[in-house]
Amino acid sequence: MENKEHIVSSFDRDLEGIQAMIMKMGGLVETAIAEATAALENRDEDLAFKVRKGDKAIDELEERVNEEAARILAQRQPAAGDLRTVLTVFRLSASLERIGDYAKNMAKRAGVVMQMQQINGAAAGLRRMSRQVELMLRDVLDAYIQRDVDLAADVRERDLEVDQMYSALFREYLTFMMEDPRNITACMHLHFMAKNIERMGDHVTTIAEQVIYLSTGDYPDEDREKGDRSSYDPGNGEV
Amino acid sequence: MNDMRLTERNMTDQKIKMQARGVDVFYGDTQAIKTVDVDIQDKTVTAFIGPSGCGKSTFLRCLNRMNDTIDVCRVTGDIRLDEEDIYDPRVDPVQLRAKVGMVFQKPNPFPKSIYDNVAYGPRIHGLATNKAELDEIVEKSLRRAAIWDEAKDRLDQPGTGLSGGQQQRLCIARAVATNPEVLLMDEPCSALDPIATAQVEELIDELRERFSVVIVTHSMQQAARVSQKTAFFHLGELVEFGETSQIFTNPQDTRTESYITGRIG
Repeated sequence: MENKEHIVSSFDRDLEGIQAMIMKMGGLVETAIAEATAALENRDEDLAFKVRKGDKAIDELEERVNEEAARILAQRQPAAGDLRTVLTVFRLSASLERIGDYAKNMAKRAGVVMQMQQINGAAAGLRRMSRQVELMLRDVLDAYIQRDVDLAADVRERDLEVDQMYSALFREYLTFMMEDPRNITACMHLHFMAKNIERMGDHVTTIAEQVIYLSTGDYPDEDREKGDRSSYDPGNGEV
Repeated sequence: MNDMRLTERNMTDQKIKMQARGVDVFYGDTQAIKTVDVDIQDKTVTAFIGPSGCGKSTFLRCLNRMNDTIDVCRVTGDIRLDEEDIYDPRVDPVQLRAKVGMVFQKPNPFPKSIYDNVAYGPRIHGLATNKAELDEIVEKSLRRAAIWDEAKDRLDQPGTGLSGGQQQRLCIARAVATNPEVLLMDEPCSALDPIATAQVEELIDELRERFSVVIVTHSMQQAARVSQKTAFFHLGELVEFGETSQIFTNPQDTRTESYITGRIG
């Protein structure tokens, strides 16, 4: 009685179609994160410009995914696992689109920062952090397509490290600014880039939660440890 | 409407109106129902879904002993209405069916006037002592079945002259005229167009305020729309029984999932 395929085979094609579009969005967003970071590190203006232009494709995909998902709801009235597939597609496309926006914003700021005097070592921390988020995104997309609850739960846990990296960068930039006020403008931009990456991590976490819901029908408990303490940081080095 | 939706989520505090335990049904040597346990709550719509031949209609017919009319059919196990065994030899099936009414797939009005269709049950059960009381029952029943406005000027005309949707609502009026406590509906909308279907569904929702409704349907969307509890039958077994919202978003049994998502017939 168990059977993976629908009696109406076009229903299968519809569901595969929207999930394939999500994967395509995911691929574009992954690339955008990597390239925005590389643009800053290599002071590559063209690459920064490419990321900014590329966000349009992600936005368009989001729109198409949502239209298709709405059509499937209207036409097929999906139930159970199929319903969860369509519902999660809406959430995933929204999260991916937001991550794309953050990457675009990073690319904009990278374009400004690269005009300024370089701060030694400032980009390296950002690179590590963005690499971490990029890998989390890759894993969560794998978890999505494999319906791998354990991997999704693992990604969710790893957001703690991103938060900790952000807190560390926050303090690092404070130090740079206190050392030399000429660093303030650049550090403000760098800090916003770090915040962008931290927000990306939150969206990846949302995606991981959606993957868990998709596979199990339940959301995970909200008892995750939070690693970002910068909201409580008075800026005097006494956290 | 919103309030109602919220209360629908919490149906567990309704008392149990009918209770079935270890019910087996045989047609000759063939077992059609295998050890089914089910609780039908009061003031709740319970939907039975499942592929053709899964036993859902057979089981429904056990609830008011309609299977008694089939010679080769044998029902064992325990079915209770308000804790009273309905298969007790002292129970009169005719009285039982006044309490547990039934509406069938195809509208089947008697070849009588609209008035007599509805008045028939109250008459044989002696629910009215005079013409005025009977008139009142007929009007109330037709109103409850949302067909009064369409039928009030033609009560003396044959029920068979109504449209399909109207006939079905007339049959519902006939079923509610005896003041049943449970209403069984065997695919009540499968012969109706979408508008008539919507009217019957609206009616089911209103009827729920007074008594329990048990509906067998082939339309999964219909089950999702009208019921608060859903039971999925497969090959004579009750595979899964639970809150409708849970069955349609997160079924626990893979067979239920396969059926409601259109993966098996």
